[in-house]
Amino acid sequence: MNFKYIILFAAVALLAVLPWLVSDSLLNAAILMLIAALFAMAFGLLCGQAGMLSFGHAAYFGVGAFASVHAMNAFDGEGLLPTPLLPLVGAATGLVSGILAGYFSTKRTGVYFSMITLALAELLHALAPHLKHVFGGEAGISSFRMPAWGIEFGSFTDVYYLTLVWTLLSIGLLYLFSKTPLGRLALGLRENAHRLRFLGYNTHALSTLIFAVSAMFAGLAGALQSLNIEASNYVVLESQISTAVVLNSFIGGVRVFLGPAIGAAVMTFFGYISSDLTRVWLLYQGIIFVLVMMFLPRGIVGEIAERIKNPSCDGLAQTAITMAQRIASLAIAAFGAVFVIEFLQRVLSTEYRAVARDGHWPDITLFTYDWSPVSAVPWGLGIGVFALGIRLAIIVNRRAAARQEAQA
Amino acid sequence: MAIRNLLRGTAAVALVCCAGAAFAEPLKIGLVETLSGPQASTGLFYRNGVIYGIGKINAEGGFGGEPVELLEYDNQGGPVGAADRVRAAISDGARIIIQGSSSAVAGQITEDVRKYNLRNKGNEVLYINVGGAAMELTGAKCHEYHFRMTPNADIIVNALLDGMKENGALGENVYAINQNYSWGVDVQNSTLASAERLGFTVVEETLHEVNKIQDFSPYVARIKESGADTVITGNWSNDLLLLMKSAGGAGLDARFGTAFLDQPGNIGNAGAIAEGHFVATSFNPEANAEKSKAFVEDYKSVIGHYPTYVEPQGVFGMMLLKEALKAVEPTEDGLKAADLVVALENATVETPMGHMSMRAEDHQARLPMVVQKVSRDAVYKADESEFGFVPVKLVSAEDAEQPVQDSCKM
Repeated sequence: MNFKYIILFAAVALLAVLPWLVSDSLLNAAILMLIAALFAMAFGLLCGQAGMLSFGHAAYFGVGAFASVHAMNAFDGEGLLPTPLLPLVGAATGLVSGILAGYFSTKRTGVYFSMITLALAELLHALAPHLKHVFGGEAGISSFRMPAWGIEFGSFTDVYYLTLVWTLLSIGLLYLFSKTPLGRLALGLRENAHRLRFLGYNTHALSTLIFAVSAMFAGLAGALQSLNIEASNYVVLESQISTAVVLNSFIGGVRVFLGPAIGAAVMTFFGYISSDLTRVWLLYQGIIFVLVMMFLPRGIVGEIAERIKNPSCDGLAQTAITMAQRIASLAIAAFGAVFVIEFLQRVLSTEYRAVARDGHWPDITLFTYDWSPVSAVPWGLGIGVFALGIRLAIIVNRRAAARQEAQA
Repeated sequence: MAIRNLLRGTAAVALVCCAGAAFAEPLKIGLVETLSGPQASTGLFYRNGVIYGIGKINAEGGFGGEPVELLEYDNQGGPVGAADRVRAAISDGARIIIQGSSSAVAGQITEDVRKYNLRNKGNEVLYINVGGAAMELTGAKCHEYHFRMTPNADIIVNALLDGMKENGALGENVYAINQNYSWGVDVQNSTLASAERLGFTVVEETLHEVNKIQDFSPYVARIKESGADTVITGNWSNDLLLLMKSAGGAGLDARFGTAFLDQPGNIGNAGAIAEGHFVATSFNPEANAEKSKAFVEDYKSVIGHYPTYVEPQGVFGMMLLKEALKAVEPTEDGLKAADLVVALENATVETPMGHMSMRAEDHQARLPMVVQKVSRDAVYKADESEFGFVPVKLVSAEDAEQPVQDSCKM
């Protein structure tokens, strides 16, 4: 238990000193990661704890984002609502819209619930372009972060701390919420809503309340994004945003408390780094999701938590060795796969087609070496490395299985 | 792999930093374009044009004796991605931001650049907009450090209507059908505004959902009922293709005047249905054939195909930038943005289509427009079909120019 707190304390301390450790560009990525993490945590409350899969969480994120942009313009960051308190506007509007939408959508459960959330979000998305005064049309609504409380809010560092404080505070509140009787009832709702009803609870009111709390934190995340980019555009209402939060949460592990946050942070960072390195980063993102769902259905954090809770009978040292071997062999396979995909992408790119004409195939530079696309070497190398990695992973798994059998 | 490349990238950056200490910083230009996702195809066209244009700048010595460095960023198709890519570009040292493929993204970038400049006086950056056509960008949102190198809705529609009128293809009854967002509304307003000048009546105007309609036959039935001779539309992508196909299927006897008929795939898909329809853009390889031929052949030798769709716009924008950079002396800290603003306002360049320059009042480029017609006689065929675009009228930059919007306060 103490160990847990040490890790938590170390993580918060690291986040607090981050601006001194990384460049502006990475600090910018950290802001996006924090916002995505908070949004995923809000989603995780609804989906992981209460078992209600919402396909339209972008709506509440967007409502919070627009509300705070309007508040920013109306108050100029002064008076009742100085810049650091603006996220409260997002939270309040998220809560109200969550009560309204939650009242309707939680009348049904399961797939019907998901469909209603999707429909409500699409309704807003379809409506937004027509309400130019509220949503600013295609160009969106722009605002300016005004200085407040003696802070400029002009630099990345100021915005980072603002986001960090709100995100940590919200995650703390979400944790405390999960410990309240209401939070415990959410788990009951997920496990057996019928039984809860027989016990005398009003499950509809309960679901509405949890939906509203989730929407409130989603709205707060939206407000933080508006503060960060100083604008809001109706594209934040797109279904893509709703999908991203579902994928991120499941990759992290939707049923463990910090799973969605870590999943969202990791995937946002992945997108931030890889989108400038390769044109096909969306493909990699999709592959990662499929692989996690196939082999780690509990999510990355869920799987790690499970390993710590139920350690295998091999002992710590042996488990660590097996794990390292697995990761190493998977890294080899990943390198092979990335090599083939990147090489293929370069061969098929318009730039290459521009120079490859009349049966002449110039070399392609990949990973600092030149390769000829008509020779078997690069293809064989990529596929060979991939096959080797997979083969190694299979051997490691077989050995581990054999050891467990011998012990059993 | 990400980590590997990251390390390699960091090493490269470190090398560049150390090298930079010894020599003057080369000018860095950040291209913040949509390079992945569903809208990537348009983004990649702008990228081709810009890469070719920057190549030309470097072929003539770059800036301050150093080649200009082009940094590429993927805005992931939306304003949110664009906002942080612009920040990344600026922190990587980019002094000029280039973007084109969406007005929504353009709206975000121009505001971001304005705010950055407010907070960093003396260290400003420039935004060169090679494609965002929304009127607002040189209207209510205009500012000193935004430059639009591409025609806006007013310029396109007026050139198109003039060209069609001269060719007797305009008729008296015009139907305006457009997508219901800023661009579509701009096109509709420009069409309505020209009615009196060119002596036609707008019999009906329609604004419809953007890229959601699968069947345009009810709309085509209305156009038929209205007795329109001509349909003016700013539609692009599926909304244009499906509209034309519905019209072809229903046997509608009306000419189409469009802004995006040259988008790759349209002619190949529509085939004979598109024949005789009009489009106004800033380039056609058959206009000023001699100069154009040299340009398109050179472009092909670098990029691999003849310039199509928005690629020439990107190139012309870079040509104007090249002229302006020649007039600017680098200071100790590299490029001083305020100097480049003045140089751009005074620069004139000869594109294959004619003079192109920058209007100082609102930073909207003055550039020639070409009204073209889909025909079998075209020299350069589109989409490997038997059709291509034949120029019917070359509108000079002076004639194409439209008044400055009142809402622009620099």
